[in-house]
Amino acid sequence: MSNTLRSYLTAVRSTLTAALCLTNFPSQVVERHNKPEIEALSSLEVVLNPLTISRNENEQVLIEPSVNSIRISIKIKQADEIERILCHKFTRFMMLRAENFIILRRKPIPGYDISFLITNFHTEAMYKHKIVDFIIQFMEEVDKEISEMKLSLNSRARIVAESYLSQFA
Amino acid sequence: MSFRSIDIDAFDEERLSEKEIFEFSHSGGGEGIEQQSPEAVFASVQVKEVEARSLLQKGNAANALTIAIDNPPYGLDRDNAKELNAKIVMDVLNSVKTTDIPLIVKSLSSEQQDTLMKYIYRGMATPESSSSSAILLNWHEKLTEIAGVGCIVRVITDRKTV
Repeated sequence: MSNTLRSYLTAVRSTLTAALCLTNFPSQVVERHNKPEIEALSSLEVVLNPLTISRNENEQVLIEPSVNSIRISIKIKQADEIERILCHKFTRFMMLRAENFIILRRKPIPGYDISFLITNFHTEAMYKHKIVDFIIQFMEEVDKEISEMKLSLNSRARIVAESYLSQFA
Repeated sequence: MSFRSIDIDAFDEERLSEKEIFEFSHSGGGEGIEQQSPEAVFASVQVKEVEARSLLQKGNAANALTIAIDNPPYGLDRDNAKELNAKIVMDVLNSVKTTDIPLIVKSLSSEQQDTLMKYIYRGMATPESSSSSAILLNWHEKLTEIAGVGCIVRVITDRKTV
């Protein structure tokens, strides 16, 4: 199982490395504007083919490249109701503070749990390989984080239930 | 106030349409796949399917793969042919043993490697079962090792989507 995780992450890493070739590109429609083309979608010719990498139906990464920006959307594994709630709270917490994460998008793409938007200004200010590392590390950590939270939530629920029911013993 | 909701950029004469980007028939002559009608393309893919499947039954997966990824259908309005061709490629990829992958990938030409990469991404975009994605990830890893990141860049930028 961990073997597919490794090849999943290597596939994401190599695809991101390939997609992160960004350049400054002013808007073709409005003069003196500079918009991320993947969001503005002002012209078809500057938007490139989107790629999906999937480990299974519940764990996918969608990479949408364009000439001056790329959008990365991640579907996080959610096995049951608790994980779904935890994942929602966790991603919401971060997206409310999106400006602190610089490349985080405030809203995910429909069908995905969290999205990143990287523009040419980010690749100019930061090292490309570090950005790739960050995304990969995020994907590794988020699964770990959610399963840890689930464990601690379960143990807390058990203590609460025990102390509550001990009154009736 | 309804005029405010009209997308005036759509009426720009300079604006590119989907046809101009994804159709290739207007670019020069020749007997390429872009000249054929969607029905003819579908028929030729069906011929390919028979050929590839018979090779696959004989256990000759390497040749089946080259047949499956040669002359892939691309362009608009060829969804039937594209889907069938993708299915053939997926079946071939699924039947290859893991240890044979590097040998097969090395025997392909650079264009064939690019086409294979396109089909791998297409397969991952529409996962049928979790086991097939694991196989595709394995293929992707081996192909990237041999063909490099440039192969992925060509998949991203090529308008001849499969």
